[in-house]
Amino acid sequence: MKFLTDTLAKKLWLTVTAAIFITILYSYALSYLFYEKLYVENVEESLLEEGLALASDYHDGPLTDEFKGHVAWYNTKSETDVFIVNNPRELSACFPFQMNYDSLINGAERDELLKGNPIFKSGYEDRFNGRIMAVIVPLLDESRLEGIIYLYLPLEKISDITKDFAYLWMIAAFLFLIVAMISGTALVKKMTSPLLEMKRAAEQVSKGDYEVSIKNQSQDEIGQLANAFNTMADSIRQEDERKREFLANVSHELRTPISYVKGYSEALKIGLVKNEEDYQKYLELIYREAGRMERLVGDLLDLSKLETEEYQLVKMPIPLAQLIEDSLQKYLPRIKEKGLELEYDLDPEIIINADEGRLEQIIQNIMDNALRYTESGSLSLHLYETEEGCCIELVDSGIGIPAEDLDKIKQRFYRVNKARTRADGGTGLGLAIAEKLVNLHEGELTIESTLGKGTTVRIYLPIIIE
Amino acid sequence: MPTIYKLLIVFAYICLLAGCQQEEYEPIAEKANVAATINIKDMSVSFIDIDKQEKMAQWTLEKPYTGGVIFPDGDTFLLYGKDIDTIDLFSLSKGTMIDHWDVGEGIVNGLLINKDELAFADENQDSIRFFDLSGSEHATVDTEANPYTMTLSEKEGLLYVLSFDHEELTKIDANKKERLEGFTINPYASGALLLEEQNELWVGGHGEGIDIEKNVHVYGTKTGELKTKISVPTMPVDFVQKDDWIYIVSHGSNTLYKVDKEGKVADSVTVTANPFNIELAGEELLVAGYDSSDIQFINEDTLTVDKRVKVGEGPFQIVLREK
Repeated sequence: MKFLTDTLAKKLWLTVTAAIFITILYSYALSYLFYEKLYVENVEESLLEEGLALASDYHDGPLTDEFKGHVAWYNTKSETDVFIVNNPRELSACFPFQMNYDSLINGAERDELLKGNPIFKSGYEDRFNGRIMAVIVPLLDESRLEGIIYLYLPLEKISDITKDFAYLWMIAAFLFLIVAMISGTALVKKMTSPLLEMKRAAEQVSKGDYEVSIKNQSQDEIGQLANAFNTMADSIRQEDERKREFLANVSHELRTPISYVKGYSEALKIGLVKNEEDYQKYLELIYREAGRMERLVGDLLDLSKLETEEYQLVKMPIPLAQLIEDSLQKYLPRIKEKGLELEYDLDPEIIINADEGRLEQIIQNIMDNALRYTESGSLSLHLYETEEGCCIELVDSGIGIPAEDLDKIKQRFYRVNKARTRADGGTGLGLAIAEKLVNLHEGELTIESTLGKGTTVRIYLPIIIE
Repeated sequence: MPTIYKLLIVFAYICLLAGCQQEEYEPIAEKANVAATINIKDMSVSFIDIDKQEKMAQWTLEKPYTGGVIFPDGDTFLLYGKDIDTIDLFSLSKGTMIDHWDVGEGIVNGLLINKDELAFADENQDSIRFFDLSGSEHATVDTEANPYTMTLSEKEGLLYVLSFDHEELTKIDANKKERLEGFTINPYASGALLLEEQNELWVGGHGEGIDIEKNVHVYGTKTGELKTKISVPTMPVDFVQKDDWIYIVSHGSNTLYKVDKEGKVADSVTVTANPFNIELAGEELLVAGYDSSDIQFINEDTLTVDKRVKVGEGPFQIVLREK
């Protein structure tokens, strides 16, 4: 049996075939029953009608020869066998006495006839040596059972008709079976072919080929599965690309400081440096690049930590204005040095539930960016309450971001100017980390920018409502 | 368990048993002339006041009785049935069962002899069993198979017993309880009338197999010869005599015939449906219709139906009590 059920297609085919078979058999049995019932009822009814019509000619008193003659004549003309019985013995008239005689009707039937009710019989009757269907109509004179009209048809005649019907049925059923099985097979094939295709595609994906796509026209469950598979394969492909890009970025970002460190240290080592001033300058450069590597590795570590699900914030109620002001303090010398103006307006009432250290990191990252790309003009920082919480808004008058880069700016290592040196000290991970942290605080980070005019960063955060 | 409780339980048990047995029926007035019909189909007995020609009471019984006898005391009502292993005695005036005799199954007919003795036809033992009125059986005489109809010649002290499906009549000396030589009769004989002054036994019957009995067979009681046949179709099964007239019911044709002693049919009338029994009460003939579940009061002279009284279903036998 196992070879029959080792594939879904075979299972479906078996189910469909079995269902067809059962349906045919069941409907055959049912319609046969109905047919027979209807037919039998019809025959019974017509027998009864005949009987009652004949009985209507009987009027009181013993049965006359004339009446018997009428019925006998009718019997010669009718397809039904009709006869009259008025022998009291046949009518079980002696019932309380044991007559050792097998009467045509029994005591119970006699009682029923005495009530004026006809009797219906169907089945084997010794008297007729076969199966018959009969109706017995009483001929009553008040409560005297003067006789009965016995009408019957051999059941063979009826089964002859049902036999014809059965042949017709069988032929129709056979044709239906063939058609149903062919279309069933086609249907099963159509249903299971996307599954096979998916299986092949999955094998390709596991071999590393993410370019597969399942052609699918249907919108049913299998079609939806195929679509989901395509989306999944696409996601895997994108993730794979991102991973490659990320690795490339990491190695690229590391290579610059490493080559600096390597180059300058080599110069120091082979005594290329002639004076103390250069010596100090080289050391300074090595130190700076090592610091950059440290930051980069630190940021990468942060990012990878943030991406794990178990990363936990240590939240507590924080007066946000205070925290921002504190954070700003360390930027004041740099702002002054660059000759920028800083304007800020912080709503002191706002208290949020947040991780203090992480919040500082967010502010630091966006401030770093703003300072890095603003050479002149001003920075303005606002904290205000919104409908759903609060907003930290940082507006600079820096170089701005081209519109086409705006949606990618938060990606790791994304830079607007790929050729830009890393002399400004950024790791390319600041915004990615900031957004991650904002999201962890159930907030949102948005960036608006006009190239050459400046950039606005808004951080929306939920607040504690008193 | 204390003795008092045991006694209480026994007492309760006796009460329960007594309660079961002491089924009470409607009492029958002592002074009335009564015709009781034993109704087979609904296992009941209907009591009809003969003078008023109306039903007085109906007892629905627990056993399938087929026949009965009222004792000369006019109060004890004996009932028997082929499938019952007792003969049960009831008091008409009290409406309760007063006694039962364990006789075994098979009793199909009972006849009061000389006011102090009962003869029962036992179909299982193929015998006539004689009892006194207190229920003790004092004689048994074997008969041909399936004895049914019994008729007594008081003058000769002879009991004639018709064997139902055996074409033989058994003659019994009712005094000595001895079987005498019988004679051959018609098959499936049922119903008999003895005309002692003519030494004739008129025998009815159902007929054998598909052949329906159409005649009453008249046999000479001394010789056993078939003297004549009286055509009274079909299935004459019971007789009653009133002076010079003999009344015969034929259940196959639902007909009552009035016949003289020569066997000449003087009159006939269609009666109630499927009558098995006829009795005479004063001037009235009582015919029980087994199929129509009624009794007809028919004037014996004119054969006109005076009254029809509904009874229980399937009246099979009429038992009279006339004061």
